[in-house]
Amino acid sequence: MMESQAPRVSVDGFDGPLDLLLELVEEKKLDILTVRLGDLADAYLVRVRAMPSLPADEVSAFLAIASRLVLLKARSLLPSLAPLAEEEGESEEELRARLLEYAVVRERASVLGARLRAGERAFHREGGTVELPPRGGEVDALASAWTRVLALAARQREEDIVAPGERYSVEQRTAEIEALIAEQERISFATLLGDHPTVGFAVVTFIALLDLYRRGAIDLAQDELFADIAITRRERTSAQS
Amino acid sequence: MLFVAEKPVGRSELARIVGATPRAVESALADLAAAYEGTGLRLQRSGDEWQIVTAPQHAAHVAAYLGADRLRVSAASLETLAVIAYKQPVTRAEVEAIRGVNCDQTIYTLASRRLIEERGRKEAPGRPILYGTTWEFLECFGLQSLDDLPQALSPEGALLEGAPTAPRETG
Repeated sequence: MMESQAPRVSVDGFDGPLDLLLELVEEKKLDILTVRLGDLADAYLVRVRAMPSLPADEVSAFLAIASRLVLLKARSLLPSLAPLAEEEGESEEELRARLLEYAVVRERASVLGARLRAGERAFHREGGTVELPPRGGEVDALASAWTRVLALAARQREEDIVAPGERYSVEQRTAEIEALIAEQERISFATLLGDHPTVGFAVVTFIALLDLYRRGAIDLAQDELFADIAITRRERTSAQS
Repeated sequence: MLFVAEKPVGRSELARIVGATPRAVESALADLAAAYEGTGLRLQRSGDEWQIVTAPQHAAHVAAYLGADRLRVSAASLETLAVIAYKQPVTRAEVEAIRGVNCDQTIYTLASRRLIEERGRKEAPGRPILYGTTWEFLECFGLQSLDDLPQALSPEGALLEGAPTAPRETG
């Protein structure tokens, strides 16, 4: 027997009785298939005794294997005991089969662990389904919207160039409108603004109209919201009454 | 369809939508898988379900982009996972018989990390829960499918496995 070699006292890292048993087999460079498991009984007991205190159910698992090993050893030392029958429970071959199966599991676990450490894993697309556009998303509609944007942009550019060059005063614009309204009795706001009014021009025109209205020079009418505003001349005589 | 799918798509569902036979879909999937060879993507399969995933060899970059942490699993949990992966579906008692220790905690840990999941119950006294590995398990270990599970290298392993291509044993 080989347990005369001083066994390592460090028992941390043993994960269960089979793990310990397998560790002993490997330490002694024995073959699972041929080792006489009873020979490991002493070394196994030394390890179990050296263990820090464990929960009762874990200790019992270690002891179950220990008692099995001791029995196997006893039988090998006293061959006359050999024909003990089935109530013995697990035979050496059954225990060997378990150990073998466990050895495979441990090997697989280490292969899986190596894969994990290598970090070569896959990822799937995260973040839900692709957002679909609302219905009616037609290419033609998009094209015409783009055309409108382009037209707007072009117009704003003109405005940017023209506007700084012009300065309007409310007085001047009031005079202009008065002159116009004197010629024609009725005129629309849109006509006053012209085709491409700048913001400044529109504001001045509007304030001029309000001023004229306040002075009773004109009447204002708008049929509906955002519709064109009709400007009509009011007779001076009636305005003063 | 597989590109926009956020979860695995079944072969029968693919067949129904495109109006093809499952066999035709199967061969189309095989073509697609072959086309992905050497690219950053691959087809992952679990049972009859498929999904496009990133190729494991680029995991470092993808993980850095996603800010994903490296998964850490203890040696004990790895053993439990190994038993479940190769013998699924399997009950806790069966895992414990093989490992020779109580596996409550490791099974709980693995389930909470979505590496294993319940697979119904065994028709046996007490109707114990059966466990199997998840889609995430395949991803985390970079396996294209369960057929991709590493085979045992030792003579003992080969002995137990019998045929080298059969990932399951009869316990």
